[in-house]
Amino acid sequence: MMREKAEAMARRGSLLTAVALLALAGVYVRALVFTPVERFQGPAQKIFYVHVPAAWSGLLAFAITGLLSLLYLWLRDRRVDIVAAASAEVGLAFSVVMLTTGPIWAKPIWGTWWTWDARLTSTLFIFLLFVGYQVLRGAITDPETRARYSAVIGILGLVLVPFIHMTVYLFRTLHPDPVVLKPGTPSLPGDMLVTLLSAVGVFTLLYLGFLAQRYALGVLRDLKDEEAGRAVS
Amino acid sequence: MQYPDNGGYMIAAYVVAAVVVLVYAVSLFVRLRKVSR
Repeated sequence: MMREKAEAMARRGSLLTAVALLALAGVYVRALVFTPVERFQGPAQKIFYVHVPAAWSGLLAFAITGLLSLLYLWLRDRRVDIVAAASAEVGLAFSVVMLTTGPIWAKPIWGTWWTWDARLTSTLFIFLLFVGYQVLRGAITDPETRARYSAVIGILGLVLVPFIHMTVYLFRTLHPDPVVLKPGTPSLPGDMLVTLLSAVGVFTLLYLGFLAQRYALGVLRDLKDEEAGRAVS
Repeated sequence: MQYPDNGGYMIAAYVVAAVVVLVYAVSLFVRLRKVSR
């Protein structure tokens, strides 16, 4: 019964991912061909349309892992732990996009690939925290201990997410301020705003597709481990 | 209108993002197939 449900979830996740990938191709065309070039930064400004949505999805994924970690410590439900772990892995994939496209934009605009300012350093820190989360999960075989220890790391990640958002206000940093997630109206011309919001929507869809697939994978692996355990005993 | 000549960086970023997303999508697909067998 559980296996059938997980396989159905995997199929729905794959379908959603396929739709999101097609939509991503559409966003690429809109951003590269139909969105105006920014006057001062030139074409490199368009990196913004992949960097910001990737950052949004990555931090959303880590925040959801943190919230589910809290829920796991309360309910002790194994499925909650599996969704939390799934969200953490998907968040890492988006973080790789964020941490590679950011420096590619920074080189022509700032004249350097990287600077150790608060926003960049704290973003690297949350990435490394969730790399540690994955390593920890791989190192512990007992499912309950693994879930409990990784929930603690997940909650630490949740604390970091709002801090990362606030770094541009709390510290003197080179990183640009938010243009949408801020008090007041978005500070972006209409065409650029539509492209950015479309990209954010598509990356969120991609997150949901990946999450469904990764959750199904976690459940199926769990069932396989249980069957192997029963066969041994 | 004159813009800074940095289109190469833009292309590089879009290619890198597409590669990372596609590699992750394929890795999920392959792992799901393997565990479903």
